[in-house]
Amino acid sequence: MKPFTQEDEGTLGFQIAPMIDVVFVIMLFFMVMAGAVKVENELSTKLPGSAEASPAAEFNDETIIGISDEGEVSLNDEPFDTPESSDLPQLRATLMRLKENADSAKQPAVVTIVSDAHAKYSRTIDVLNALAAAKISNVTFNVNED
Amino acid sequence: MAGGGGGLEKGEPDFQIAPMVDVLLVILIFFMVITSAQVLNIDKTIKLPIAAEATKKDDSRAEAIVNVRWDPVANAATFNFQDHLYSKATDFVEPLKAAKALGEKTAAEKPGQNMEFRLVIRGDRDVPALFVSQAMNAAAEVGISDISFSSVNHD
Repeated sequence: MKPFTQEDEGTLGFQIAPMIDVVFVIMLFFMVMAGAVKVENELSTKLPGSAEASPAAEFNDETIIGISDEGEVSLNDEPFDTPESSDLPQLRATLMRLKENADSAKQPAVVTIVSDAHAKYSRTIDVLNALAAAKISNVTFNVNED
Repeated sequence: MAGGGGGLEKGEPDFQIAPMVDVLLVILIFFMVITSAQVLNIDKTIKLPIAAEATKKDDSRAEAIVNVRWDPVANAATFNFQDHLYSKATDFVEPLKAAKALGEKTAAEKPGQNMEFRLVIRGDRDVPALFVSQAMNAAAEVGISDISFSSVNHD
């Protein structure tokens, strides 16, 4: 007896070639989307005054990074980079050296960001980004409202 | 003379379509998962600042999120906390206090969860730093010392 097949009823069998075409197109779509998707990240800081008091207080050198209302960044009153530079390469290199020196002295690198009240928030993030690149985590943020 | 380069004539295995489909489907599922897992759920009116060195967001902690919007036409900032709009940061201190109490209570019920409550500030890149500072002051008033600033990896 002849076995039963789909061709006996005149219908088409499962076509693999169009299925692969469709899968390729869907895959290409998701590949392109995966590259374009924005990922939310974070930069952390601690508010000053939350640290517990230790019996032997140690005073570390504090570095102050200033941000003017026009976006000019200064490290201990010395200007670094241009207001248009978002990567802040000079500041980043200096902070890396500062971190190395602090590590070799076995002291934490403490940085305070003092931003002008009218400076754009993105400039603060640029500075925090440079600090993250230098792996400095003891950062506080203040706004100069004067 | 034998023509072509037919695999069957040399005794080599023929091209197998089934494993290829398997691999394709696995790659497809991989891209589908990473694409859908990374979709942002943020306030569409806010353009987050870009920070390439920022770390991946820690979703395992109890947190409150404050969106700081900026209207350049009105030259005014608005705080969006739990889908309510506030013109002043001091106005959402009480809701933030309630969110902190609830978050800490929920975290205490889950073993192994980081108990330290934090505030995530999603500020528009053009908002003056003063308004971000006001949101931080509200956090300080509630007793939240751990602050995170949201950013994106690229435009």
